[in-house]
Amino acid sequence: MDELVVRISHCVENGKINKASPYPNAMKGMEGADELTKQALDAAIGPDAILQACNDGMQRIGERFSRNEVFVPELLMAAKAMHAVMAHLEPFFKSGTVKVKGKFVLGTVAGDLHDIGKNLVRMVVEGNGWEVIDLGVDVKSTKFLDAIKNTPGCIVGLSALLTTTMVNMSKTVQEIKIQFPATKVIVGGAPLTMDAALKMGADGYSHDPQGAVTFLDKISAA
Amino acid sequence: MTDQQWITLQKIIKNEIVQPLPVGFIIDCPWLPNWYGINILDYFSNDELWLKANLKALQDFPDVMFLPGFWSEFGMCTEPSAFGARCIFPINEFPHAHKVIQSVDDIDSLPQPNPKTDGLLPFVLNRLKLAQPKIEAAGHNIRFAVARGPLNIASYLMGSTEFLTTMMMQPEKAEALMKKITLYLKDWLHLQMETFPSIDGIFLLDDIIGFMGEEEFRNFGMPYFKELYDANVSVKFLHNDAPCKVSAPLLPEIGVNLFNMGFDITLNELQQLTQHKVTLLGNIPPRDVLASGDVTKVREVTTQLVNSLQDKSKIIFSCGGGMPPGVSSENIQAFIKAVRT
Repeated sequence: MDELVVRISHCVENGKINKASPYPNAMKGMEGADELTKQALDAAIGPDAILQACNDGMQRIGERFSRNEVFVPELLMAAKAMHAVMAHLEPFFKSGTVKVKGKFVLGTVAGDLHDIGKNLVRMVVEGNGWEVIDLGVDVKSTKFLDAIKNTPGCIVGLSALLTTTMVNMSKTVQEIKIQFPATKVIVGGAPLTMDAALKMGADGYSHDPQGAVTFLDKISAA
Repeated sequence: MTDQQWITLQKIIKNEIVQPLPVGFIIDCPWLPNWYGINILDYFSNDELWLKANLKALQDFPDVMFLPGFWSEFGMCTEPSAFGARCIFPINEFPHAHKVIQSVDDIDSLPQPNPKTDGLLPFVLNRLKLAQPKIEAAGHNIRFAVARGPLNIASYLMGSTEFLTTMMMQPEKAEALMKKITLYLKDWLHLQMETFPSIDGIFLLDDIIGFMGEEEFRNFGMPYFKELYDANVSVKFLHNDAPCKVSAPLLPEIGVNLFNMGFDITLNELQQLTQHKVTLLGNIPPRDVLASGDVTKVREVTTQLVNSLQDKSKIIFSCGGGMPPGVSSENIQAFIKAVRT
């Protein structure tokens, strides 16, 4: 594999956004995902190869997160580095040179302002080649329904951190299933379990972002 | 809490086995208003209903330690309100506060709140002052100074993603924010203690701890928690129902001696992680069992929990987290019975 591509992947995994970024300490002063992606494109390395490097980097950090070797801040930094790469790749997505795997409508349910879980999922899912329509936090079910209507074939992700907002999550899943029974819904959040997810009528549950990617890729491949 | 309950709590913390086995729950706005039959906004806005709801819980479950007891609060809005956060109060949903820091540059100009006058804090305190004679007439006392923890408040003021990435990118700004919040919380806790001399405990709630690795927690959490718990009180209580394996070994060093955790860890494991120095309040699944299960399920899971313990000292039986919405009186009774038989 091209050295530049390997370095991009390494930057994504370690959350090195650009040369100016002080994080991580061990890479201070080094070029980051931003500069290296620009160099790679200038060197005529294909956007698909760069996207794959992103995916590999995010997958490695996602696996380390699942093993409790790194935590939310490190994962957020990796996602930020990935975003620096994606900013360069955006024209290729728009032109169709790089194809997205599918569309994923995502939001934190009504009454819950926590964005960590939702943002982590967004960043990791985007890094794995999906287009994410991020509805934000405190999202009412009507907003989810509108987004589904406007995004045919999408998969929906609902996030919540508070035990108290599980009720709203359940209501939202049920309303989606009544109006759009074919739409697949995955839920996630600290207070949830697979059992609770299935009881509320969701099609999937994941306790970490990598699990959401696995779910989406499986649906997409089916 | 009554004098007897307070003595019992202190005995448990001092490693004495008490009989019958103790039961305690954190109760606040997610459970109490609807259980009492009123909507959440009425609970927040009507002092009499707030008091009656609390008294009714104590009357119905006299053997349960309700923690902190007579918690005067406005949900997640309480502490952020003093920084000027926009607070949203739907009629029968949980209130939430919007962030006030739009960029890291706002941190330096963020005002230092005065707990005596700012946001909802005067209302919190005055409600307790007005209710104090009736609380004492019912045989109870105000025992805890209560606040959301500094990481939790930082996340509300800034947005959790923004705060956690600021920790990594501009640590000096994150530290400045934590210092400002900690100073505010110290003022707030001390004001509560000054106002109510019966207070002999500090209760902080902070689930952002659970998202951090050890290095981040040691840098951005631990020093501030230590400062807040560094007070002359006998009970130092922490709630974090997010993951706690990283922070649990550090709890004794922080000064915490009572801990309410989530349900994703066993009490046996936590006893090991905390070197058996911390009293544990937990931890059957709050929503899936205590709220959604039937009496049989509650009894079964609670009995499993009791029987799973190799050492029942320094344990108060509860759910993993605060009492969730929708828990019936029957399920609470089933829980108590299962612990005590």
